[in-house]
Amino acid sequence: MKRIVAVALSLVMAISLVAGIGADVFAAEKTVINFAAQGDSTPATQAVIDAFNASQEEYEAVWVDMTNDSGAMRTQLINSLKAGSDEYDVISMDVVWAGEFAAAGYIAALDGFMRDNDLSIRDYNQGSMSAGKYDGKQFALPFFPDLGVLYVRKDIVSEDELAMLESGEYTWADVLDLAVQYKGEAETVDGFVYQSKQYEGLVCNFNEFSDNWRDIAGGLEAMKNLQDAGAAPENILVYTEGETANSFIKGDSVFARNWPYQWGAIASEGEITQDQVAIAPLPMGGTVGGWLLGVNANSSNQDGALALISFITGPEGQKIMSMEGGYLPGFNAVLEDEEVIESNLLLSMPGFLNALETTISRPVAEDYAAVSDELQQAVHGYLAGDTELEDAVAAVEEALAKAEPFEYADEEE
Amino acid sequence: MKHNLKLNHFLFLAPLLIMLAIFSLYPIITSFVYSFFDYRTTNQQFNELRLGSALNGDLLAENASYVGFYLNDDYDLVDAEGQAVFDRVTEESDRIAEQYAGVTDISAADEEAIRAYIVDARQSIDAVYSRFPDEDFWRQSDLKAIFAGMERVFIESNYVGLEHYQRLLKDTRFFKDLGHTAFFTVMTVSLELILGMGLALIMNKAMRGIGLVRTAALIPWAIPTAVSALMWQYLYDGRSGIVANFFAAIGLIGSPEQMLSTSGGAMTAAIIADVWKTTPYMALLLLAGLQIIDRGLYESAAVDGSGAVHQFFHITLPLMKPSILVALLFRTLDAFRVYDLIAVLTGGGPGGSTETLSIYSYKVMIEQSNYGYGSAIVVGMFVFVAIIATVFIKFLGADLLSDS
Repeated sequence: MKRIVAVALSLVMAISLVAGIGADVFAAEKTVINFAAQGDSTPATQAVIDAFNASQEEYEAVWVDMTNDSGAMRTQLINSLKAGSDEYDVISMDVVWAGEFAAAGYIAALDGFMRDNDLSIRDYNQGSMSAGKYDGKQFALPFFPDLGVLYVRKDIVSEDELAMLESGEYTWADVLDLAVQYKGEAETVDGFVYQSKQYEGLVCNFNEFSDNWRDIAGGLEAMKNLQDAGAAPENILVYTEGETANSFIKGDSVFARNWPYQWGAIASEGEITQDQVAIAPLPMGGTVGGWLLGVNANSSNQDGALALISFITGPEGQKIMSMEGGYLPGFNAVLEDEEVIESNLLLSMPGFLNALETTISRPVAEDYAAVSDELQQAVHGYLAGDTELEDAVAAVEEALAKAEPFEYADEEE
Repeated sequence: MKHNLKLNHFLFLAPLLIMLAIFSLYPIITSFVYSFFDYRTTNQQFNELRLGSALNGDLLAENASYVGFYLNDDYDLVDAEGQAVFDRVTEESDRIAEQYAGVTDISAADEEAIRAYIVDARQSIDAVYSRFPDEDFWRQSDLKAIFAGMERVFIESNYVGLEHYQRLLKDTRFFKDLGHTAFFTVMTVSLELILGMGLALIMNKAMRGIGLVRTAALIPWAIPTAVSALMWQYLYDGRSGIVANFFAAIGLIGSPEQMLSTSGGAMTAAIIADVWKTTPYMALLLLAGLQIIDRGLYESAAVDGSGAVHQFFHITLPLMKPSILVALLFRTLDAFRVYDLIAVLTGGGPGGSTETLSIYSYKVMIEQSNYGYGSAIVVGMFVFVAIIATVFIKFLGADLLSDS
C-alpha cells in the first residue's frame, strides 16, 4: 500500500513538474490575438498582419478567416458575442453593424485608449468614424472606407460626356440615355449594371437613386425605368457586386456602379484594361460603406487587441493596405503619402476625388437589420412588379420612420 | 385490455418521461415564455427576461466617466465661470461613476437621484456651451449623445403580455408568408403524391434491374437539400441555366431571366425543386404500403376479369389508405416547415414573394436578434401545424392511430 502511495505521489510530482515547465515555455511564446476578418482577394490583409507580427515581440496576430457572405458573418459574430465568447479579440465589422454591436455592449469603447496614445478622431476618415460612434463614444476605427462610384468605359463615351460624368453634374436619366445609346458598342451587351438583388447592396443602391431618401418615388421610378428601357440587363434583380464586377471587367457593360475594389479587379483579372476606364461620382452622391475594427468587450487580451487595431488603422497599416490592396486609406495622412498616391492610381483621378466629396450614408438605427430588411422588401417588391408605386413609397417611409434618431425624454416640453 | 398504472410502473417510465420533458417540452415552453417578453439580445435594455425594473450600473458608470473626460477636452475653450461649472459636473459625474457597477435592482429614491443628476448635469453643461455660440467645441455633440445614452441605463420590465400576439394578428407579412407556405405545401404535397405513387408502382414491380431503378430513384432524396438548392439555382440561372432556357423556349416564361426574378417564376422554381427532391421519399413511404397488399387479391380480381385500372382504384387505393395518410401527414408537416431549400434557392425573394413562415421567423429571431416577437411567430406556426395534424387525424384517418 505504501508503495502505491509513493508511486502515485511521485507521479503527481512528475506531472506537475512537466506542467510547470510547459507553462514556462508557453509564457515565453507570444500571446495570440485572434483577428476575425473576411477573406481578401488582395494580399493586403495578410501583409498588414505580417507587418504587425514583425513589429513587436509580445503578440502574435492570427487571422480567423470569416465567410465572405456578410449577412452570414454578422450572424456568426452575433452568436459568438451574445454568448460572451472571447474566441475573437479583434472584430472587423461592416459600417452598418457597429451601432448595433456597440448598443448591445459587444464591443469596447476606445476613447480612453485613444487619449492615452494621443490618437485624435480627426486623424481618421470622418465618414467611417461617425459610423463607428455610438452614444458619443468611439467604438471602432476604420479598417478601410468605401464609397459607391460610377465606372465608365471612356473608350466608348464621348469626351464631353465623360467630362460631364466626372464632374458629377448629371442625373440618372442621363445615365439611362447614355446606356441605351452605347449598349452594344465595342462588344458590350449591357448598358448599366448595378446591385438590385434583395440584400444590403440594394439599400446602398437605393440610397443613391433616391437622393439619400429625399425622393423615394423618384428613386423607385429611376430604377424601374432603367429596367424597362433595357438599359440594365433583364436579370438585374439578381445582381450583387459579384455579377456587376464580372460583367464590367469582362467588357460586357458600358457603365457600372460598384465599390473602389473593382478598379483593382480590372487590373488583376479584367479582359479590359484600366486605360479604358474612368471613375465618376454618382449623380446624387455615393453611399459610404467599408469596414471598421473593434475590440471584443469580453476579450481576455484587451491590450493586445488594442495594439493590433492601432497598428492596422494607423499610418503604417493603412499604407500597407493601400499599396498592397488598393484600399482607400482610412488614416487621413496616408492620403497625402507620395508612395501611396503613386501606387494607387485612384487617388489622382479627378472623378474619384470628386466622388470623395459627395458621400451619403444609410439610415442609422439600433435595429438596423430590421429596417434594412423592410427597405429591401419594399424596393425589391416594386422593382419585381409586385406592388404599385404608392404602396412601395409608403412601405419605404414606414421603414425609415423606425430609424428616427433618439430624443431626450424631456425635450418636448 | 386496460392497464391500471401503479407507481412502480411510472418508475419504469421515468427515463422516458424525463427525456420527453428535457427534449420536447422544455423548448416548447421556452418559446411560449419568450413570446410574452420584449426580448432582444442586441439591446442592453431588453437582453434578458425581466419582471421588475433595474439599473444598468456598468453603462451608467461608463457614461458618467466620459463626462469629465470630454469636458476636459473643451475646458480651455470656456471662461472661468464655465470652468467652475465643468469642475462641479466632473466631480459629480466621477462620484456617480464610482458608485455604480453591474446590473442591479434599484430603489425609487436612487432612480430619482440619478435622474436628477442627469438633468442637472446636462442642463448645466448646455448653459455653458450656449454662452459661446460661435466656438467650435470638440465635444458638444458627443456630450449630448452621452447624456442621451444615460436614458438607457434604466431597465424596465420587458414583460409585454399578449402584445406580440396582437401584433401578429395585424402582421400582414405573417399572413402573406402563411399564404406562401400553404400554397407551397399544397402544391408540392399533391404533386409528390401523384408522382410518388407512380414511382412506387414502378418500384413495386418484380422485374430485372429493379434494384438499380430503386437506387437511382432515391438519389435526389440522398443529396443534401442545400446542395440540391444550389444545383437548381444553376439550372434556373437567367443566362446559362438549362431549365430556365428550356421553359423560355417552350413559352412558359417570357425570358429565361424571369425564372428567379418574378414572384410567380420563383415560387414555381421552388416547387419544382422540392418535388424533384422529395418525390422519392414519398415513393418510399407508399412502397411500404404497396408491399403489404396481398398478391392473391389481384389474382382473383384478374380471374374475375378486372383490368389494371379497375384493380388500382378498387384494390390498391383502398388498401393503401392508411399508408397514404401517414405519408401525407409526414410530408405536409415537413413542407409547412420548409426552410433550407427556399433560403438557399431564393432567400425568400424576389420582394419576399417566396418567404415562408420558417424564413420569416429565422429573419426576426436570428438576423434581427428579436427573440420575443420571433417566438410569437413560431407559436403562430405551431398553432397551424397543430391544426393540420388534428385535421389529418380526426377527419381523414379516424382509424389511423387505433389498433383495430
